[in-house]
Amino acid sequence: MSAFYDHFTRHSHGEGLKARSTHYCPGCGHGVAHRDLAAAIDELGIQDKTVLISPVGCSVFAYYYFDVGNSQAAHGRAPAVALGHKLAHPEAVVISYQGDGDLASIGLAETISIAQMGLPITVIFINNAIYGMTGGQLAPTSLMGQKTSTSPDGRIAAMGQPLKMAELIASLDGPVYVERVALFSSRERVKARKAIKKAITNQIEGRGYSFIEIISECPTHLKMTPQEAEEWVKTKMQPVFPLGVKKDLTVEPWFKRGIPSFEPEAVLGLSGAEPLDETTRRTAAVWPGHLPARDIAIKLAGSGGDGAQTAAMLLTRAAIAAGFDATAIPSYGPESRGGTSYADVHIAEQEVLNPAASEPHALVAFNAPSLAKFAPTVPEGGIILYDCTVVTDPAGLPANRRILPIPLTRIAADLGRPMVKNVVALGALHAALGLLPESGIVDTLRHVLRGQARPAAPE
Amino acid sequence: MSVTTRPKPFLEPQYCKGCLRCIEACPRDCITPGTEINAATGLVPVEMHLDNCNGCLLCLQACPEPYGIRLETDPPPPIPAPNTDFVLEDPAKLFGERCVANFSEGDQPDDLIALPACQPLVLKGTYASAIGALLAGCRHVFGYPITPSTEGAELMAKILPKLNGSFVQAVSEVAAVNMMYGAGGAGLPCMTFTSSPGFSLMLEGISYMIGAEVPGVFVNIMRAGPGLGNIAPEQADIKLACRGLGHGNTRAIVLAPSTPQEMLDLTREAFALSFRYRNPVIILGDGYLGQMTGMVKLPTNMTRPGLPAWAVWGDRAHRHNLITSIALAEADLEKHNLHLNRKYAAIAACEQRVECHRCGDAEVLVIACNTPARMAKGAVEAARAQGVKAGLFRPVTIWPFPIDTLEEILPGVQRIIVVEAGPGQLEDELRLALSHAGIAPPPIEHVRRCGGILPAQSAIFDGIMHTEEVLS
Ligand code: SF4
Ligand code: SF4
Ligand code: SF4
Repeated sequence: MSAFYDHFTRHSHGEGLKARSTHYCPGCGHGVAHRDLAAAIDELGIQDKTVLISPVGCSVFAYYYFDVGNSQAAHGRAPAVALGHKLAHPEAVVISYQGDGDLASIGLAETISIAQMGLPITVIFINNAIYGMTGGQLAPTSLMGQKTSTSPDGRIAAMGQPLKMAELIASLDGPVYVERVALFSSRERVKARKAIKKAITNQIEGRGYSFIEIISECPTHLKMTPQEAEEWVKTKMQPVFPLGVKKDLTVEPWFKRGIPSFEPEAVLGLSGAEPLDETTRRTAAVWPGHLPARDIAIKLAGSGGDGAQTAAMLLTRAAIAAGFDATAIPSYGPESRGGTSYADVHIAEQEVLNPAASEPHALVAFNAPSLAKFAPTVPEGGIILYDCTVVTDPAGLPANRRILPIPLTRIAADLGRPMVKNVVALGALHAALGLLPESGIVDTLRHVLRGQARPAAPE
Repeated sequence: MSVTTRPKPFLEPQYCKGCLRCIEACPRDCITPGTEINAATGLVPVEMHLDNCNGCLLCLQACPEPYGIRLETDPPPPIPAPNTDFVLEDPAKLFGERCVANFSEGDQPDDLIALPACQPLVLKGTYASAIGALLAGCRHVFGYPITPSTEGAELMAKILPKLNGSFVQAVSEVAAVNMMYGAGGAGLPCMTFTSSPGFSLMLEGISYMIGAEVPGVFVNIMRAGPGLGNIAPEQADIKLACRGLGHGNTRAIVLAPSTPQEMLDLTREAFALSFRYRNPVIILGDGYLGQMTGMVKLPTNMTRPGLPAWAVWGDRAHRHNLITSIALAEADLEKHNLHLNRKYAAIAACEQRVECHRCGDAEVLVIACNTPARMAKGAVEAARAQGVKAGLFRPVTIWPFPIDTLEEILPGVQRIIVVEAGPGQLEDELRLALSHAGIAPPPIEHVRRCGGILPAQSAIFDGIMHTEEVLS
């Protein structure tokens, strides 16, 4: 009996007889199932590896009794908590012990999705066809016609018909072993014990997810003696919830997880970090004197496939590589899917303050709508650069701005790759602004595009 | 009559509830219903007549009470001594002493691993946060896709398997937060990326985590609401994070980054705070910040997490541990709440963080956080260029609100302007903090946009300058 505490110190502070008796009603199936689970833990010698997840319901206090690692979950969430424990410590034996309201009502989504993931945890499901803790309400597994405090005239189809969880879980691909057992006779109790042991063994051996449904007695809310309750489970529940193995796959042990890596090289490499290289660093960090401000805002705008976002990224990287501060913000969401796509870039000598480019010093417009929309936002003295291959008739451009019609698409097409028009635009912008050192831009391009067969693919 | 040498059962009448399940189990009719009420329990235990008993122990298997029937060969249970050091008696000791500064015995401390110097990265805010988490030692990420936070989860899904970590796309945010309850309860750093509607769904789980003192980091890239709203940036979850973390007496440190660099730095910091206080930590970003790309410098070291003594790890050393938010007896729960209150007070005293920009001589104090703080900084600079003494007070923790620093600055301030992309929840936090501290503030004005629109720098500038003109 070592899987039970000698002394239930968590049960009413372990005072008096509570130190050795459960909080369950006389004859409750939970107690019998606890005994079976304890026996399995003892026989398998896994007391020091076991984490038991207590649910919400009458078995909420399972942690009073089991001398193992214990975690108590919110209503219905025990499988999610179990999964968290299993992934945190794959060698632990994690058992989720749940009643019918918990597993088959409020926690259905967790129950099914985590069963389908198939990771080796063990779920023990006590189905007694009624809510115990809250006082005898309709359970998802209550029988048709069963009178409960919330189905006083008996369960009818419109309240939902009894959910057959073992069959439901067995129909999923994830689980390897599903069985429904009972506690109403010595014969069934022997089978229940075997099933629990097997379900845990599957986990220990890394074979997969196992689910044991135990049809069980709640004498209190059935308003019966324990003997009548056993008889009721046998004669009334059993036909609806037939006992037996519902699924039992022969699966070779497969669950094995490596120890999480904390190798600096691996973490940095995967993060995209590169060692500081003094020779390539900081081509120039002198802010060009001809610029109107120490913080330059640029807007790149086009339709979804024009490559405005990639160009914004490249510009930002080049500026940071040159030793300046820079930010880029995309327009995103539905509006960026197929519609207008624009990006705001800021390059500052010291620190970018406001990263939005509501009044950009330079606008790069890849199409007519973008030009029409954003040209009026460019302040006096600003630059308006647009693709004159596609915008042949720009109307109403503001005065006192540098207007630069550049045939971006044609130049790119002449290069044999129309999609690099965004890179052509960067070249034109560079020539117009004179903000970044040319070598820096080219280095950045090379660097970002290294290993890619094609140049800057527009997003 | 076969006489067996197998041990026979022994009834402990005081632990028998008289359910009679053993009677039907016995093939030899050795057990009969009792006839006498047990004085200690008021129940009627069964009676055993073991002359015919073959030691099959089927009665024992049928008994729902762990100590109702035992083997005669097992030692009789000692009378339990009255227990004085029981864990649930004093929630302050519920999971070992919880000391803000020192680890109790049995903790395996984190390792700091030096990193080589690296080129600055150019990263989106969500990516920067993900990398901050990796450097903090987080290898367990649970989430549900929601715009505009998803990229963080996507990056984790790509990287974590290569580091033998786990990214799980849960069936819902509700499941995700409970996976965090599990992994955090096992003592490991874990996190999620979410956005406002998803954060709403996680609140129940956050309340459980706070109650059970489970660490975990929530990155909420706020979008505009209520309801489905839209996916543009807003700051309308400040109320939830500071005042509404599910049911009960809940609080968590709320960090508000304003740059991709801070997304990384504060995510790292969030893990440290989360374990220091055994409490979830909330990072509130806005949709703009999540998507914003900027320069991110890497720190000089990273963390390999240890294992706290309280973890439910699934080994002998941690077998006695329990993670739960239940305290059934009212007095126990009151004590637990008082313990939480002491923790909240310690946080409020020690963890206020703020950036003050030109606050020293400020007469007009702009208060803003997240991306609007950057617009505000621009406006403050523009106002300074016009000779107006403006300053920016940027709370980095919204809860606890950095009221101590504000109190020092306020004497010279003639006007406060709260700038936010939201309906005024930051201003509410400010006013509450002022009120609790008993500080009478100068007039408080505001520049607000909502629905996904950020306050423009020009509007903030006008706010700063406007009354100047009126005053002059
Ligand atoms: S109410 Fe039912 S399920 Fe709950 S302890 Fe009592 S008998 Fe068991
Ligand atoms: S051990 Fe077997 S024979 Fe003996 S009392 Fe128990 S059930 Fe009856
Ligand atoms: S099964 Fe256990 S609790 Fe029930 S009557 Fe028998 S000894 Fe007592």
